[in-house]
Amino acid sequence: MGKTQIKNNIRTLRFFNDEMTQAALAEKVGVTRQTIIALEQQKYSPSLELAFRIAEAFGVSLEEVFLYDPENGLN
Amino acid sequence: MTFHQKNVTVTLVNFLLILGFYLIRVTQLILSESFTLDKIIGVWITVVVIAIVVTIIGTILTHIISTIIETIKTGNEDPQVDDIQDERDELIDLKGTRVSNTVYSFSVLLAMLTFALGQPALVMFTLLILCGIIAQIAGDIFRLRLYRKGF
Repeated sequence: MGKTQIKNNIRTLRFFNDEMTQAALAEKVGVTRQTIIALEQQKYSPSLELAFRIAEAFGVSLEEVFLYDPENGLN
Repeated sequence: MTFHQKNVTVTLVNFLLILGFYLIRVTQLILSESFTLDKIIGVWITVVVIAIVVTIIGTILTHIISTIIETIKTGNEDPQVDDIQDERDELIDLKGTRVSNTVYSFSVLLAMLTFALGQPALVMFTLLILCGIIAQIAGDIFRLRLYRKGF
């Protein structure tokens, strides 16, 4: 029960999008704020659909939000 | 804590109380030497009815109390309680159900084993409902663990 192998830049992207709150992002993509918190702490890997919705909310490509890191989460 | 987390906590507390009630009732029956199949089926029915009613009332009360707390916190008369069930909630629910089913499967096996080893059917029935309650509790504990620690 550690970190997932999917890293993300959600916190940074929120900051550069007029300091968007977690609640605002959650509402925009249709999940709870707790899910956004879990994503930012890398405790949860989103479904492909949610990943696309988050990328769309920031107006960037999927690769700019998420990246696969096999080293992460193995320890 | 989300609405679903609170709901799981309430269900867990309910089932712990039901487990307590069941154990006390069975102990009373054994001590009064009236531990019969009729009596144990009566306890079964009571437990099932209590579980259904208390779970429904618990969910409604959780919603009402969440709304009251949100109103006090935000000062908004029509607050938004975050009661949507997203993909993470669904996944946690499924994983919890899997734990419950696994625990219950082993329990049924254990109960049947007691019967196969020559114990009366009464023991098997008593174990079946006991293990059903324990399986529900195990599932809820696992759900809360996933909510807190992630997966």
